Amino acid sequence: MKLTQQLHRVNFCKLCIALLLVTAVISCQKELHFDAEPQKEHNLILKFKPVVLYDSVPLVLGQTYTNNFKEPFTPTAFKFYIHNFQMINTDSGKTFELANDKYYLVDFSDSASTEIKIAIQPYVYNRIKFTIGVDSADNVNAGAQIDALDPARGMFWNTTTGYIMAKLEGTSPRSPQGGKFEYHIGGFTAAESVIREIPLLFPYGQNLDLKPGGESQMFITCDANDWFYNPWDIKISQTPVVNGPGELARQVAENYSKMFTVDSVYNGQ
Amino acid sequence: MLLSGCLLVNACKKSGDGNSGPHPLSLEIPAGFPAPQYSFTGNPLTQEGFQLGRKLFYDGRLSKDGNFPCASCHQQFAAFATFDHPLSHGFNNQFTKRNAPGLFNMAWLKDMHWDGGISNIEVQPLAPITAPNEMAEEIENVIKKLQQDDHYPRLFAAAFGDATINSQRMLFAITQFVGSMVSASSKYDKVKQGSANFSLTEQTGYTLFQSKCASCHPEPLFTDNSFRNVGLPVDPFLNDYGRMLITNNPADSLKFKVPSLRNVALTFPYEHDGRFASITSVLDHYSSGIQNSPTLDPLLRNRIPLTNAEKFYLLEFLKTLSDSTFINDKRFSQPH
Repeated sequence: MKLTQQLHRVNFCKLCIALLLVTAVISCQKELHFDAEPQKEHNLILKFKPVVLYDSVPLVLGQTYTNNFKEPFTPTAFKFYIHNFQMINTDSGKTFELANDKYYLVDFSDSASTEIKIAIQPYVYNRIKFTIGVDSADNVNAGAQIDALDPARGMFWNTTTGYIMAKLEGTSPRSPQGGKFEYHIGGFTAAESVIREIPLLFPYGQNLDLKPGGESQMFITCDANDWFYNPWDIKISQTPVVNGPGELARQVAENYSKMFTVDSVYNGQ
Repeated sequence: MLLSGCLLVNACKKSGDGNSGPHPLSLEIPAGFPAPQYSFTGNPLTQEGFQLGRKLFYDGRLSKDGNFPCASCHQQFAAFATFDHPLSHGFNNQFTKRNAPGLFNMAWLKDMHWDGGISNIEVQPLAPITAPNEMAEEIENVIKKLQQDDHYPRLFAAAFGDATINSQRMLFAITQFVGSMVSASSKYDKVKQGSANFSLTEQTGYTLFQSKCASCHPEPLFTDNSFRNVGLPVDPFLNDYGRMLITNNPADSLKFKVPSLRNVALTFPYEHDGRFASITSVLDHYSSGIQNSPTLDPLLRNRIPLTNAEKFYLLEFLKTLSDSTFINDKRFSQPH
């Protein structure tokens, strides 16, 4: 009987040690993360280029251009939030969505922010789709946020909760407001939403044939002139400032939602 | 073997955090209060986070010229309103647009600001910090100033585990401090708990209050968090149409948030623009001053006629909502 008890005690001790080791190993696994196998996805680099005049002229902040109403304007800030990228093949109907959606602030005063690298499942694609804007839930429910949505980036209002989803600012002699124009566009409620899905076809006859492990590029132009024209006339002389959600913001958003064009795609291996 | 097991366990711990993480706190929920709107999910309330928020609340460096901490417009002895100022002072000798509200029971607020423009308490500080007529600073600059300070990196590390200072952590800490301000120790509360009694005049006032005021100012928070037009004529200089500026809906013209009446005797002057210097003036307004307009609250169509005696009784009751424990609570005072 005594011997049995002793044996039990030893077993219990060993069990403790074993348990401790197992715990240690498990807790280590959380910290030391090894990828089982490198994912053979294909990196796609999206390069956003600011332009004016039907995509023909590269836009440089601080230089002067002319809009559809012959109003000279000098942009000093041009930025917008995008997220929710999808790659589509319209022939097969297949759509690839990124597993972890995150926001990007494309800011043409910061060249690093104009290149976005996303990992795509290898396949042949002929269309890309993304969302310009910040979803309703991320405006209010999420509270204080970091990364692209960090309020230190200045893309929010100080009178009402919500992100400024796109900004175009600058100077123009036609502006009655001290020679400045300022379009801060946002609004996420159903009635005032400026969140828009942007589906873009590739240039005729081009597609992306993404091979596992490779890297390709896509150039997307963003035409500042589109902010002022079609379907709504936004003249600097009449509307130099749009600052806050509402009908005007919706009109500008409807205008700028057609500013994107896939200029070219380059298949890489 | 046991030793090596222990070593493994120790090796896996993140270096430097030891065993003393931030000390958890819990929000005090007074008896009879509903569930709070903000429950610190995603921003766990801790002693260190609260103390960091307290330091930030009283720190002028959150403003452009260093002169306007949150506490410049939110003074504890006035239940965190601005004492005796219709409008507060901001950067560069400017007036604010509206009367600074008292800060208490903030975790129960649905929307912030007189027009409800701010719908999440965590991001509310962005508004006064960046408003050109208030603290007039940029968030990026505030963060830089805090990063360059001798003490803040240590305090952020104590509250959040490492010394990273960013806007999210700053906002989390301020929310922990302001969200912890609970006022529920007034004479009214003591009467409700059975540890004090109303005087005869207070009791008469309470009964009047329940029949004439409580539909918009229901107990125990003394607000229904709604927006209403109470018939105040527009100030031609301020031209403030309230809630409509946020919703762009004409039906919201001249509507402002119903404020809590807790600590009302401490937070004069009154209304969104501080136009009334005394509670009596407010009662006079409801009794005989209401101006009709399309969006006037239906409950006020016939005004709230009050005799002078009734005004006196109501005033005596409203004074029982002052919480001297709260305004003297050392936890919320300027840190040394």
